[in-house]
Amino acid sequence: MIRFLLKGIARDKNRSLIPIIIITIGVALTVLLSGFIYGMMGDMVDQNARFETGHVKIMTRAYARDKDQLPNDLALLGVDTLVRSLHKEFPDMQWAERIRFGGLLDVPDAEGNTRAQGPASGMAVDLLSKNSEEIERLNMKSSLVSGAIPKKSGEALIGDDFAKKLNLKIGDTFTFIGSTMNGSMAFQNFKISGTIRFGSAALDKGSIIVDISDAQLMLDMPNGAGEVLGYFKDGVYDDEKAQKVTEQFNAQYAKNTDEFAPVMQRLKEQNNLAGYLDYVDSFTALFVGIFVFAMSIVLWNTGLLGGLRRYQEFGIRLALGEEKGHIYRSLIYEAIIIGIVGSIAGTLLGLGGCYYLQTHGINIGQYMSNSTMLMPSVIRAKITPYLFYVGFIPGLFAMVFGNMLSGIGIYKRETATLFKELEV
Amino acid sequence: MKKILYLFLLPAFLNAQNTPDGADILRKVDKNMISKTSISTSQMVVHGRRGSRTITSKSYQKGEVNSFSEYLSPAREKGTKMLKLDDRLWIYSPSTDRTIQLSGHMLRQSVMGSDLSYEDMMEDRKLEEVYNAKVVGEDTIGGRKTWVLELSAKVDDATYEKRKEWIDKERYIPLKEELFAKSGELLKRVLLSDVEKIDGRWYPKKMNYKDMLKDGEGTDFIVDEITFDTDIPDYIFNKASLKQ
Amino acid sequence: MTANSKISTRSEPPRGAITRLAFHLAYKNLMGAGLRTWLSVGILSFVFVLIIFYQGYVEGFYQNSIDENIAWEYGGGQLLYKDYDPYDAFTLQDGHGKIPATDTKDLVPILIRQASIYPQGRLMPVLVKGIEVAQNTVKLPTQLLQQSSAEYPVIIGKRMAASVNLKKGDQVMLRWRDKNGSFDAGNVTIAGIFDTDVPNVDIGQIWMPLKKLWAMTDMKGQATLFIANNNYEQKNLPKWKFKTQDELLTGIRALEKMDKITGVIIYLVLLAIAMLAVFDTQVLSIFRRQQEIGTYISLGMTRKQVLGLFTAEGCMHSILGVLVGFIYGVPIFIYFTRQGIGTPAAVDNLGISAGKRIFPDFSPELIIGTAVLIIVSTTIVSFLPARKIAKMNPVDALKGKLQ
Repeated sequence: MIRFLLKGIARDKNRSLIPIIIITIGVALTVLLSGFIYGMMGDMVDQNARFETGHVKIMTRAYARDKDQLPNDLALLGVDTLVRSLHKEFPDMQWAERIRFGGLLDVPDAEGNTRAQGPASGMAVDLLSKNSEEIERLNMKSSLVSGAIPKKSGEALIGDDFAKKLNLKIGDTFTFIGSTMNGSMAFQNFKISGTIRFGSAALDKGSIIVDISDAQLMLDMPNGAGEVLGYFKDGVYDDEKAQKVTEQFNAQYAKNTDEFAPVMQRLKEQNNLAGYLDYVDSFTALFVGIFVFAMSIVLWNTGLLGGLRRYQEFGIRLALGEEKGHIYRSLIYEAIIIGIVGSIAGTLLGLGGCYYLQTHGINIGQYMSNSTMLMPSVIRAKITPYLFYVGFIPGLFAMVFGNMLSGIGIYKRETATLFKELEV
Repeated sequence: MKKILYLFLLPAFLNAQNTPDGADILRKVDKNMISKTSISTSQMVVHGRRGSRTITSKSYQKGEVNSFSEYLSPAREKGTKMLKLDDRLWIYSPSTDRTIQLSGHMLRQSVMGSDLSYEDMMEDRKLEEVYNAKVVGEDTIGGRKTWVLELSAKVDDATYEKRKEWIDKERYIPLKEELFAKSGELLKRVLLSDVEKIDGRWYPKKMNYKDMLKDGEGTDFIVDEITFDTDIPDYIFNKASLKQ
Repeated sequence: MTANSKISTRSEPPRGAITRLAFHLAYKNLMGAGLRTWLSVGILSFVFVLIIFYQGYVEGFYQNSIDENIAWEYGGGQLLYKDYDPYDAFTLQDGHGKIPATDTKDLVPILIRQASIYPQGRLMPVLVKGIEVAQNTVKLPTQLLQQSSAEYPVIIGKRMAASVNLKKGDQVMLRWRDKNGSFDAGNVTIAGIFDTDVPNVDIGQIWMPLKKLWAMTDMKGQATLFIANNNYEQKNLPKWKFKTQDELLTGIRALEKMDKITGVIIYLVLLAIAMLAVFDTQVLSIFRRQQEIGTYISLGMTRKQVLGLFTAEGCMHSILGVLVGFIYGVPIFIYFTRQGIGTPAAVDNLGISAGKRIFPDFSPELIIGTAVLIIVSTTIVSFLPARKIAKMNPVDALKGKLQ
């Protein structure tokens, strides 16, 4: 039966091609727009998660209290043991050690005297280990303006605007002056391997990114890190899960009174993000809901159209003695098949578009060249698991529903008038 | 008539005998504390929230304005050198092989995590040049009798407008110092102890320096060895010597 | 039958009559289609309301942001000392100068100095901003400084108050340096905490009377910048550069543009879906109503007129959509214009001045423009499938034999 239907669908373009094209376009648009809205609304949360808060974040209690001041003297020590136990305890999460630090960037001239100086904020992440997830997480490859990501110790990335201000090029060396965990002066030479633009003025005008092992050495923090960030493996923040993880982790230290005991905070507890997250959720749901609704109506129409087009065909089939219920069911089966094919094609197409917009984004930087504020100049879509099924709601259900409605007409037809209607 | 005059003058004279002139005391203190040259090895104990840390260094000093020091330990500070000539300060880091002049807000940073800033370290003028002193009382510190002096700045660019000094009556060594803001707020407190006679002069080998606005125990400076008035070749006080 | 009589009088009816007839027929047909019409109309009205709502919200959000920045920070423009760069803390030390009193009419002087405060025994760097207390150019409640009898009265923003854990009447130790570098310190008293939407005048800073700061630092007459009021006439002053209100607002305007572009992308896709609905409906109705089309042509309407009729029918979807949108949209717009829409606190962290409640701005231009956009695009989309009519053979159409 299904084989027969498939043949019919394949051979009758009116039955297959047009509805499938419409479903595909509609589903693709639904998926693309949903992904785009997710990307846009979630951008700030996501940016926060990737750069600052993680999905969960571990600090010492003392560090957590003054975290705005980046107090590396209060950083976590013995991080490898901590991370090892984290991997064991929460196997479905990824953990990233980070150090944020501030200081002065000093550029030497040919004689080694200071040619230029500027205040710099630094971020140390795992750049060098083979399977580091950080490069991808921080979107470094596509943020790279020139040069390459550091491949060996002693190399650094620098904000593109920062490099321009200090007149630095790829391959140049600068000295970073900061203070170590103990408050001593820290000096370290770095060679610029690349310049980077994340699209936020604060980062681009005064930041450097170095490997965490370099920073540990420079800041005299052996096996230390200011923060350990945790991420869910699917890259999507799930507040319920985060809350469970946080409670489980913090329970272990509940009786510990040491101010340097680790404490975990989830994304929602940090940077006032709680309200924003709720806002994003409801806004996104609203948009996607409207969209799915609109799309459903379109595809319902398509279903109706399909049923009506085949008025004559059904007449002939009825005349030949086929049961009404059988025709109706075959119509629905066909709709299901077409709906599935269209939804899959549309979802794939939409996801492809999302993927493109996720990696490339829509660059609106040219419209805001004068801006000095912290904001992304590239709007990106975001692929979430949700996108894999959202398209099926209008694509499959609306299509089938439309056909079901139009198919009711079959039952209203009377054999007696069939031949008259068919004008044979 | 003359007798009456004497009667008036006598107490004043006696008083002068007992409480010497503030400026005089300062002069004597400066003489003790500032030598033509000195070479010392010392340790600095920084008390942090996570325990203490000791940093040792060797310092050369010439006159009031020139000094050179090299850190000896811990390993990661070893070879770091600092040169001060007049009001300029350079720091050399062996790991980067860079000599960098500290200026502006860098000077306000703490030295190696201590309660002392580079700026505090730059302060080199003789007390006598900066302050007018007045003896305001007597006190006993660690069993030693002291004059209590109030110092007020006579120049307008003194870092601390007012100071209070507890000066050992016999040895002319400060045993306690309090540094005040213009408003009179106590900013820093220095406690000096372990006074020994070295090369014919009294010298406090231990000093605790504390920023009074911050929590914590302050920073200890302990002189292990010091010699005065030895000849130091001039090339030491040159930027070139930083790289050697 | 009437059909016969119409055929017999086959002369061109006046144009206006046909147009009226077309619209009348279009309306009747639409109403006849019932549910399906109303679904398309529903989508179109939704799109209409949503576009207006989003753009109105963005407009309101940034209008508020612009107003607040002007009210708290920018005034009618700022006059900055030439060496002072607001984005480079290094320039604060020496970036200040004096202006002869004759030239400071309509200007509020501000002197910025770096200092430290010690809340709970911790050192925290702050900017001390001295401002002329007798001013009403910006909304900072400087009268609180004037009224306070404390030795060092200061006002701080609510964010600053939260981060250092201080409340009104509290004292905190401030350490600063005078112009020669001498340390000075004293307990400053919080004379008031202000609630502003502009983080730039709040985070990491304390405000005090300018004359007090002059006395504290021995820098009488010095200013880092001036805020102009609206009467200020720009003069050429050596060593000073004037930034107009517009120049100061470029950042916010760029953000607004970004949000509007994002909005355009979203509603274009949404519009595309609505158009798909209309297109689909058109295809369906042309397919279903072949016999009707054939009849129209047989009765003497030209193909163009029939095409016009169907296009008008499609277009009428959008007119109805706009009307329906008005019916439920206007009360919504009015409600939100009066009540405002809450913004989440995190938007604060973005460095944008976002009000706690945003009052959307639904301008007539926006509403009319959106209506025109929807009607025009619907008309185009209705026209496209209707072109098929022009190629129809009326006999086949009458028989309903077209596929």
